[in-house]
Parts: sequence; C-alpha cells; structure tokens
Amino acid sequence: MSVIFPKWTNLLPTIFAVGALGGLSAAVGGFYYYATPKFFKVGYMPKQPGGGFNHQIHAGKLGMDCRYCHTKVEKSYEANIPNVATCYGCHKENTLSIYNESEVHKNKTEFIREAYAADQSIEWRRIHKLPDYVHNFPHQAHLAAGVSCYSCHGQITAMPEVYEAQPLSMGWCLDCHRNPETAVLEPQYHDKITQLVWVEQHLKDRAAKANDESARQLLESINVNAPQNCGACHY
Amino acid sequence: MSNLDQCPSTTKGEKKRAGKAELAAVAGRVDSIHGQRAWRSLEEVADTAEFRDFLEREFPAGASELSRAEGETDGESRRNFLKIMGASVALAGAATIPGCRRPDHKIMPFSREVPEEIIPGKPLFYATSYTRPDGGVEGLLVETHEGRPTKIEGNPLHPVNQGKSSVWALSSIMGLYDPDRLKHPIYKNPARGRIAATWDDFRAWADRAMPEMEAVGGAGLAVLADKKQSPSRQAAIAAFRQKYPNARWFAYSPAESSAVAEGTRRCFGVPMREVLKMTRDNTRVVVSLDRDFLHNDPAEVSNARQFSATRLVMSTKDTMSRLYCVESGFSLTGAQADHRLRLSPSQVTAFAVALAKFVLPKAAAPDSQQISSALDRMSVQPAAGVDARFVEECAKDLLDSANRGRTLILAGETQPPEVHALVIAMNAALGNIGASIAYLPMTDEEAAPSLANIRELTDAINQGAVRTLVCLNTNPLYDAPGELNFGEAFEKLQASITLTVESTETAAASTWSLNGAHYLESWGDTQSHDGAIAPVQPMIAPLYDTALSDLEFIAFLTDRSAKRIDGYEIVRGTWAKFVTGDFDRAWRRALHDGIIAGTSQSTQAPRVNFANVADGLSRLPAAPAGLEAVFCVGNVADGRFANVGWLQELPETGTRTVWDNPILMSPATAKQLDLLPINYTDKDPNGIYYKSRFPHGQMATVTVGGQSVTGAAWILPGMADNTLLLTLGYGRENAGLVGDGVGFNMYKVRPATAMNGRVVTAARIEHAPGEHMIASTQDHWTMDNRTSIVRAVDLPRFQKFGDEVALAMDELYGTRAELNFAERMGELAHTPPNKSIYKNPYNKSKDEPLPSAAYATGPQWAMTIDQTTCTGCGACTIACQSENNIAVVGKKETAKGREMAWIRVDRYFTGEDVNNPEAMYHQPVACVHCENAPCETVCPVNATVHGPEGINYMTYNRCIGTRYCANNCPYKVRRFNFFDYGVTKFNGDYLGKDLINPIGDYIPGQGTGITGSGEHNSINPNLIPPRLRQKLDEISRMQKNPDVTVRSRGVMEKCTYCVQRINAARIECKIDGLPGIPDGFFQAACQQACPTDAITFGDMLLPQSKVSRMRGNARSYALLGYLNTRPRTSHMVRVMNPKRELCSAERVAEWDMPLGHHAGHGEADHGDHGEHGDHGPETPGATRDGQHSKAFEFKPSRQRDDRGYALSLRVLGVRA
Repeated sequence: MSVIFPKWTNLLPTIFAVGALGGLSAAVGGFYYYATPKFFKVGYMPKQPGGGFNHQIHAGKLGMDCRYCHTKVEKSYEANIPNVATCYGCHKENTLSIYNESEVHKNKTEFIREAYAADQSIEWRRIHKLPDYVHNFPHQAHLAAGVSCYSCHGQITAMPEVYEAQPLSMGWCLDCHRNPETAVLEPQYHDKITQLVWVEQHLKDRAAKANDESARQLLESINVNAPQNCGACHY
Repeated sequence: MSNLDQCPSTTKGEKKRAGKAELAAVAGRVDSIHGQRAWRSLEEVADTAEFRDFLEREFPAGASELSRAEGETDGESRRNFLKIMGASVALAGAATIPGCRRPDHKIMPFSREVPEEIIPGKPLFYATSYTRPDGGVEGLLVETHEGRPTKIEGNPLHPVNQGKSSVWALSSIMGLYDPDRLKHPIYKNPARGRIAATWDDFRAWADRAMPEMEAVGGAGLAVLADKKQSPSRQAAIAAFRQKYPNARWFAYSPAESSAVAEGTRRCFGVPMREVLKMTRDNTRVVVSLDRDFLHNDPAEVSNARQFSATRLVMSTKDTMSRLYCVESGFSLTGAQADHRLRLSPSQVTAFAVALAKFVLPKAAAPDSQQISSALDRMSVQPAAGVDARFVEECAKDLLDSANRGRTLILAGETQPPEVHALVIAMNAALGNIGASIAYLPMTDEEAAPSLANIRELTDAINQGAVRTLVCLNTNPLYDAPGELNFGEAFEKLQASITLTVESTETAAASTWSLNGAHYLESWGDTQSHDGAIAPVQPMIAPLYDTALSDLEFIAFLTDRSAKRIDGYEIVRGTWAKFVTGDFDRAWRRALHDGIIAGTSQSTQAPRVNFANVADGLSRLPAAPAGLEAVFCVGNVADGRFANVGWLQELPETGTRTVWDNPILMSPATAKQLDLLPINYTDKDPNGIYYKSRFPHGQMATVTVGGQSVTGAAWILPGMADNTLLLTLGYGRENAGLVGDGVGFNMYKVRPATAMNGRVVTAARIEHAPGEHMIASTQDHWTMDNRTSIVRAVDLPRFQKFGDEVALAMDELYGTRAELNFAERMGELAHTPPNKSIYKNPYNKSKDEPLPSAAYATGPQWAMTIDQTTCTGCGACTIACQSENNIAVVGKKETAKGREMAWIRVDRYFTGEDVNNPEAMYHQPVACVHCENAPCETVCPVNATVHGPEGINYMTYNRCIGTRYCANNCPYKVRRFNFFDYGVTKFNGDYLGKDLINPIGDYIPGQGTGITGSGEHNSINPNLIPPRLRQKLDEISRMQKNPDVTVRSRGVMEKCTYCVQRINAARIECKIDGLPGIPDGFFQAACQQACPTDAITFGDMLLPQSKVSRMRGNARSYALLGYLNTRPRTSHMVRVMNPKRELCSAERVAEWDMPLGHHAGHGEADHGDHGEHGDHGPETPGATRDGQHSKAFEFKPSRQRDDRGYALSLRVLGVRA
C-alpha cells in the first residue's frame, strides 16, 4: 500500500494552526496599531494656503505670544484663527521690507495682501478637530486651569508647518484627566502658559523628579477638578 | 397584561365602579384623582384589546417592521429588508473607501472688517420683539452663533412677557429657515406664466404701472395688510395715504375675533382693548365665559403669569383664586378651572344673562339698575344644561363681601358683543374695572373688522372700484370666507402684488409675488397691548435676494424715487418724533434693552354706558336650533405656521392630535351622528393574530350656508354637545412641503357674517365616504398600570393637613426622613419598604440606597414641575425642541409612537362620564434623572451612565440602539431615532416623488382638489418614510444649536437637563472665580420658556436655591417614587379651590379626612378596607405589618404564568 501523503504533511495542521494564530494576531495587532488615532491622526499636516503660517518663525524665532493671533482663546471655547486684518497688520505693503528685502518673502505673503484687498477670508485647513459628538473643547477652561498649549498641540514653536502632535483620542484625554498633575502648571507659573519651550522643559523636569510625595503636593497646589464623566464632553 | 400592582389595595376596589362608564368594562388599571378615575382616551376607559396591545408593545404595532402604506397587504418583509440592507452595506463599504482620507475642513476667519463683539464659539443675544398672528406682542432675546440665529427666548425686560414666550414666538425662527419661503420675486407673465424675476424688474414694472395710479391719487388701488401695532407702520400708512388719498387700506387678520372691539364700543362708545392686571390681592374669583384667556389670547403669556400668581400655594396659610369656566370646547382655561360647565355658545350666553340677573341687582352700583330692569323684562329661559345651582353659587362668590372688587368676569370670542357689554357692566358694578381689568383705546386699524373689510374689498373688486391689489403678509385666496368667492374676484384684478415671507396661495396667483424679509432680518418696532414700544432689529442680513420688510415696502410704494430704502432710517425717523433727550443714547439703550423705557401707557377705567348695555340686551340672538359651529385657531395660528414642523407636531391641547385639524365634537354628539372614531383590528383569516391599525376618523361634510367642507370627525371629551369645533389654519395648498394638504380648510365654511368671525348656527354635518388617519399622542408613553401619577388635592384639605408629616422614619426614601403631604397621597405611604433592584454607583451599596459622599457635594441638579401653575401650553416642549435639535418625524411616524419630544405634556381626564369629564389635568414629563436609574442597569454598552452631579447621561456615540433602556424606563421618556430624523427633511424631496400626484398650483375658484376629497392624504408627501427623504438643506441646518449633537439613526436620546448649559455655566463661573454656580445663573430651556414658572431647576444642595425650597415643599412628590428610583425631578401636587356648595358630599367629606393610607387613589373605591381610615400618621410598624398582605389577593396561577407578577411579589415581600 503506497503512501498517499508524504510524512511531512503530518506537520500541516500544526503549520496551519500556527499560521492562523500568527495571522490573527498580526491582524489584531495591526488593527490595534494602525486603526487608532495614535497612528492615523498624529502627524496630520494638510496643505495650507500660502504654504501655511510658519509658527517656527513667528512664535519661535520672533517670540510672538500665541494670544497675539489667537485672541479669544482665554474667553471662548475656540482658539480663534486670526482675521486677515491681523496678518495684514504686519504684512502690509512696504512694512516688513525693511527687515526682509527678498522677493521670495514678498511673493510668499502676497496671498495675504490679495485676500485683504478682496476682503476675502483665507481658507485655512483645520488640523485639530474633535468628532461632532465631542462638544466644545473649552480652551478657556483649560487655560484657566493651567494647561498649556504645549500639552495638546505639542512644541508649536518648532513647527514650520503645524501638524497634529497628539492623538486627541478619548483615551489620551482621559490619561490627563485622570492624572492632571502631568500637564497642569502650578498657579505661580500661569503667566508662562504660552511660553512653550519653557513649559516643555518645566514639565519634563517636574516629571523627572516626581515622587509620590511631591506629586501629592503638586496635585494639592494645582487644585483642579478634571471631570471624567461622559456628560462633560458628550451631549 | 403584566401587573406590577405596587399598591395591592387598588386591585380590588376599582373594579366595582365600572357601572357608570359609557363604554365597556374597566379593569383595575386606572389611576384616580379625588377618588375619580383618570384616563387619557376612550380606548383606555374601554380598555380595548387594541389599547392593551398598544401599551404592551414598547412601540406600536409595526413600529419595528418596515413601514408600509396604509391598507397595503404585502409590504416589505423583514427578509426583503435584509436583502436591501445587505446591498446597501456593500455599497456603503465601497463608498467609504475613498472616505478613508480625512476630509479637508476649512476655517474661514473674518477678513477685513472684524465685528468687535463676536467671539467665535460664544453666542450673542440680541433683543427684538415679535408680533404674534393674533396681534399680541412678545419681547424676545435671540441667541445667535456667529451671526446665525438659532434660538428664541423671551426678553426679561419686556413688560408684557417678562422673559417668557409662547409656542408661536419660539417657533417663529423656523419661518426664517423655511426652505419653501419665497427666495426671489416672481412675475406672472400673461403669456409665459410665472417666471423668476429680480427686485430691479419689479422696480421697472412699478415705474411703468404706478405713475398712472399716482395721477388719480391711488384710485383703484387697494392694500390688504396684516394687523400690526407698530408706530413706524402707522407712520408709513399715514404717508401712504397722503400720497394716495383715494387708495383704500384694509387691515385684515383672518382669524381674529371682533368681540372685544364691538363689546367695548357698546359699553364705552369707543373700541378699547382689555389689559388684565390680575394680582394676588385684586383677584380672588375669575369667571370665564368661553374665554380662553390662558392660551388663545394676544396677551396669553402675561395672562398666564398673572393668573398663576393668584394660584400659587406654597404653604398651608396661602390662599388661591377660584376659577369658574363655562365653555363650549375644552380649553386650557377650562383645564385650570375649579368648576367647569360645558355649554354651547348660545347656552353660554344664557348663562351670562342668568349670572347678570343674580349679580347686578345685588351689586350696589347705582346705574346698573337700568340693566337689571332690562334683564327682568327679558324672557330668556334658562337654557337646558345651565345648572341653576352653578349660576347661583358663582354669583354668590362674586358678591361675597370678602371678594368685592377682587373678582373678574371675562367673555370670550364666541359671545355676542352684547354679552361682552353685559360682562363689562358686571365688572363695573362689582368694582373690578381699574383693579383686575383696565382698558386702553384701540387704534383704528386694530378695531377695523377684518371680515367686513374682506367683504368690502371683494365687492369693490367685483364692482371694478379696485383694479390693483397689494397684499402685505396676507393670504386672502386661502383664508377669505368661502362664500365671498374671493378667487373669482381676484381673477378680475388688473394687477396683484403680494409681499410675503412664507409661500402662500395668494403669492402663487399674484402678478408679482415678492419675497418679504422675515422679522429676524429687518428693522421695525412693535407696540404691545399695554402701549409699550419695543424695537425689532435684524439678527442677520436677508437670506434671499434683497428682500424688503413690509415697512420698507410701504415706503417704496410711497416714494419710489428714494435711492435706498432702509428700515433702520425709517424706524429712527419715527422714533425721533417721540423720544426725548439724547436720541442716540436712547436708541442704543432701547436696542440693548429691547424696550423703550416708560412707554407703557397708564390704563384707563372708562365709565360704562349702562343704558347702552341695557338696550343691547334686546338684540341678543335667540337660542338657535341645530348644531352650532365654533371656529378657533390651533397651533398653526391662522395658517401662517402651516409650514412649521414643530408646531404641526406639537399635540393640540385637548385632543393631543398632531398634523391635523379634525372636526371636533363631544362623544355623545359623535355617537348621535354616528361619527365616532374607528379603531380597527385586522384579523388574519385564521384568527390567530390581529394587528391594530391606527385610529381613523370618519369623514364628514360640514355645511354652513351654501358652503361645505369635508374633514375627519373626531371627539373631544368634555365639549358641549351639539357643537362643532372647527380649527382654522389647516388645509393649506401652497404652504410648502410641510404644510401642504395637512388637515382641512375650515375658512371655506366660515361666512363673512359669522358672529365675531367665530360662531355660526345652523351648521349641518353629514357622513362622507372614507376615513382619515388621525395621529394622536394621547395614549403614547403611558405609565401604564401605575397609580398616583397625577395628584391633586383641594385647598381646604391641604390647608388643614398640609403641614403634617408622617412620623415614620422612612428608610427607603433616603434623604428624606419623613413623608410629606404629597408623598403620602401616593403609594409611598403604604408600600412595604423595597430593596433597590437598580444600583447606583454613587450609592453606598446596592442594599442601602442612601447616597454616598459623592452626592453630598458639588452642584446636585434637580427640577420641580408644579402642576398647579402648569397650564399645559406646550412652550416647554417647543423650547426644548429648539434648544436640543430635536427632530420632527411627521404624521405617520407620530402615529406609530415615534415622536421625539423630550418633554411631553401628559393630559388626563377624570370622571366616570367620558362625555363630561370632571376635569383635565396636565403633567409635563421629561427624564426625571433617577438616582437609581432603571435604564442604566440594562444598557449593555454603558451608553447611559450616571454623573457625579446626579444627571443621567446619554452618550450618543456609545449607543448601539438596543432600546433596552427605553423598555426599562418606567416614565417612558426615552426616544429612539428609528431613522435619520435629525439630518433628513421631515418633508422634502424623496425617491419616487414623481410617481405621486403633485400638488399643483392653486387655480382660483377651483382649488386643487386636495381638501374635501377625503383622499388628499394619499398625496401628502408628509407620509413618505424618512429613509427616503432628502438630506437637510443648508438652510434648514442653520437652525441647529451647535452646542448639541444632531443625533443620527439608531441612537437613543432623552432630556439631558440641558447639560450644555450646565457645562457652559460651570466654565463661566470657574473663569470668573466664583465658588460654585450661583442659583439662577442659567436656566434650562423648558424652565426659561415656561410662562408660569411652573418649572424650576437648580442645585438642590444650595439651601437658598429655589429648587431646594420647592423640593422641600409639602406639595412635592416623586413620580412613581415607590419604585425607589429616587427621581431628581419632582412633581408638585395640583391644588384646586372648589366651592364647598358645588362639590359632592364625598369630596367635601374628604377635606376633613387626614391623609392616611388611601389618599391618592380614591377612598370611595376602598370599601373593602375602610378600617384604614384610622391609618393617620403612619407608624413604623404599620407599613410592614401584615395588613397589606392580607388585603393583597394572591393568585398562585398568575405567579406561575407571569414572571413579572412573581417578581412583584418578591419585591413586595409577599411570601406565597
């Protein structure tokens, strides 16, 4: 009686089982990694009109305060995008040419003057956007509590073009709401809230030397009550 | 029928009283008030199989299946549905692949001109004012988001409505975003038909056509304008008249009643308007003679506020006013009455005469004797049905020395002017004029009789005296009396110009139909009935073309040469004439406040000409034979709100019907005419199952004079017999996709000679072929099988026992150690303590319902709803709908019980006689935010969870639509999105639209055959299932509140206690450094709108907050509190103030009976354990001793078959 199946075929069930298991875990693992905001949201950098507002130059090198443009961030839910008039205030014809004579710069900012002349708004692309069922991320409340721009938007002063630095997922929000001491500045530093480089260093230093006791003291001093209930955001 | 009879003693007793019921036997399922059964519909009284089937299904038959056309036998099966769905899922999958890329969202900042006050993300509130369809005025605050008006609220600084608002004002924002409104001028070319045009075209046309008219001083020109009290309008009219001295101006408000103007003219010589000034001090007795002053009145908001102030009982020392109501329908005023008599309009007249015969001779006014002698000469026999004892007691109350000068008698729209004059004379004789009621002169325009005007206009057109007609916000082709044949006359016009905001029949037939500017888009001013002048300021530039407001249009007609017509300049020009001092400062102040301070006029107390009144009595019409028909207005007013879905879907008071205006009559009259509604069941041939169909009304033709209209007949318990109630404003043919073909046009049968425009006698009604589905919410969301839902008590009993609290320590009720008066009216007084089957994360443990420390801090939100002051007007429902983006679902969906209103107003009748119920009760119910919420325990995905501030959250993005929560909610307050209601038009374009007969253009004189055929709903696009509808257009989307999610298909929703407002307030207070949220810092939308402040909301832990005081009041009780759900919303017992002499002996005996075991579900019922009368203050042992188990009839067979029953036994602690 001839052998129909060679002996190695005895291994097939094992191979299939291992393969299926491996495939399954790859699928689950892949989904877990790729289908989360951590992967597909972080780094989102749409093409902006005019090449985008260079935060590295304005907020970094020139040291402009965030609130020079985002004027209503301490009052409103939204950190408003500045009016064309604000851009035009500096990029008027012949205003900045004393600093920068280059044609390149002039051409680059031409769209501002065009928009201003036509009384049209500039169609900036939105980068940080929460889903529709998340309501009114209150910028004003977070600033009042002492959360710096840095904690959600990353080191904006180092971004020539702004991208999404954090996943802005619910788990990520809750991480901070459960441990507010990771991001909230002490009351005495609230005036430094928009100095992102300082804030980054400060938070790193604080995290490095944190122990249980100092964390407890910190939590007491910052005295925030970060809500963790559904109704705080979803309604 | 599952029976969780929480009060064991109810089961037996109530079965005994079935004898008097008109319909079939009654099972023990009913609630009772004052020992009388409370019911919502005849089906409930009869306890029909259909009704039970309706109740026991969470949603009515077919609700979970695909909708199928009426009468169609083979519709889509579930199997088919799955096939289709499979295909669409595949398609959707294919469609979403490109969707993987994140869509570009643009941010568009302002460019050059930056409005300083706009903070993106924060709403702004602007003051304006609004003229209601009936001529009343309400001051408003309009919430705008980045320049987009989204929500209307009352302006607290306006003297008339004082921050509150009516459903009409709240809904008026829908007119702005009405997708069917006129968007540009349309010219009707004689050769080419209707063609789109521009305002410049119209100007060119006017330049050609008008000079000819100007040359003859406007001869041949007539204007038919709506009635508006506005200084600028009056100035514009004066200028127009100066320019065109020969032109004719007709003021026309189709649904108005001329009763007050004519009555006061008889009494005072000049027409005057009534200004009610009821206060606690000057109003102790109110008699309403068919006058719905709480609901259908230009000053309804202020009337309701004043009246409720006289009714508020907060302690046992408080007193309250007494309301007698004699009426033909069953109005909200009737629902508030302590004593009510249903009489036809002519009988009400007889009642008024009988009352005057009692009152006037005894009132010590010197001149009134003339009337007395005139009355003596009258041989008016007391009409059948006028209860002599009722008249006598009512008169005694008016004449009581304690009440002298502190009473008020009001005559209504159905009463002849002579009765109005008589009532004014009575008020004068009783010393009420100048106290509870005062007068102000009417303007000519206001006093102009609309029906006489339209008749005059028709005659003038027919005689050729009018060749050009301008219709300003009027729609005579729809609402002129049918007998005038206005359509024919309209054909004879050389030119017709119609300026209107909404789409109308007249605009469709006019030479020029011009798009008017909505009041939220234009400048203007208003004058309220007390004389106060308020500005109308635009919230947004006109959405379409360069729309002109009526004010600007009159100015244009007056002076075409003006380069720019600007409402702003017109209003400022008018104001400059009477504003003194620094004008700009006063102007800014007025725009800020929404009112010009100090413009309220001082009212007058004119002298009554008694001789005239006495003379008039001889002209009183004789009592008619046959049917009397009363014309009234419903939610859509005179028809101008027909295209507003919110108002179409707001249940009408009394019947709770939506999307319809059936011909109403009393059940007895309906039975006599064989027009009772039909509730059928479709039995399958084998008789194995039956499927209930929605209730239908039988079609009937009403004929008045030579005119007739066919509509569905429906019943309203408590109406006068031999009376028909015809609601105007429906049956529109060119209102738009929402309003077209909804209901029946009753204007057709209203003769121009109808008394006051309201009443006709000798109406005939006969059967017409066909039936018509009626969607009524009366049986929806019923808290079936529960008892003591609505609680009411008579004032003497409350005064005597209100302060008593049960000595018992009640462990099951947690925060309250003792049971107050209201709670002891229900089962809490005698249910054995039950353990919580629902657990709350913030409670100490499942077995111990006491709250943990989490509930002891921070704001803990709570609401109270006072059933004494609630009039049932529905403002809360509409305000909530507006604030929370609640969808409109259409008639057919509503019939299935899918209406979405978060706060519903339940309406109950009481009494054994379905034809003549004792009283009507209203109870607003929204999510009560149980601390031990039954919905939370059953949600498989934790989509509904509890918050630390006591709010039961609903997280839409987690919800997977199992509907378990709705099933487990004893209050039935959860609403499910069966379709994409929120993002599709409730009426609009849809698949297969072209297969349905289109609703054609109006053909004057012929109509379109929509109404009256009995078939018209077959082509009503309103019945198209929402899944086939068109997505919301840009315009309709603009109304949505950006702070609240627009829910999509498959998620549950419910009242959130306006969590968006709570969160906003919390942030605001935190930033301002306030320690907490102060009481009154914000209001929930329903609370904000409620004209009588029946709803309070706030932090119950603040001892000074209004809500904690209300909750602590003896009248506060937890609805279904015995379930141990610990609701955060508590209801407050309705207190009534009946007169001892008019009450039954049992009811009076009740007043001296301390609240023991029985109260709340009828002592009279409980003959079997009368020994409980000594039950008095409960002792701890008494609630748990064997008494109750003894009275409880235990049925072993039921325990086997019925798991619910078995569970209830365990909960009750009965050991079988």
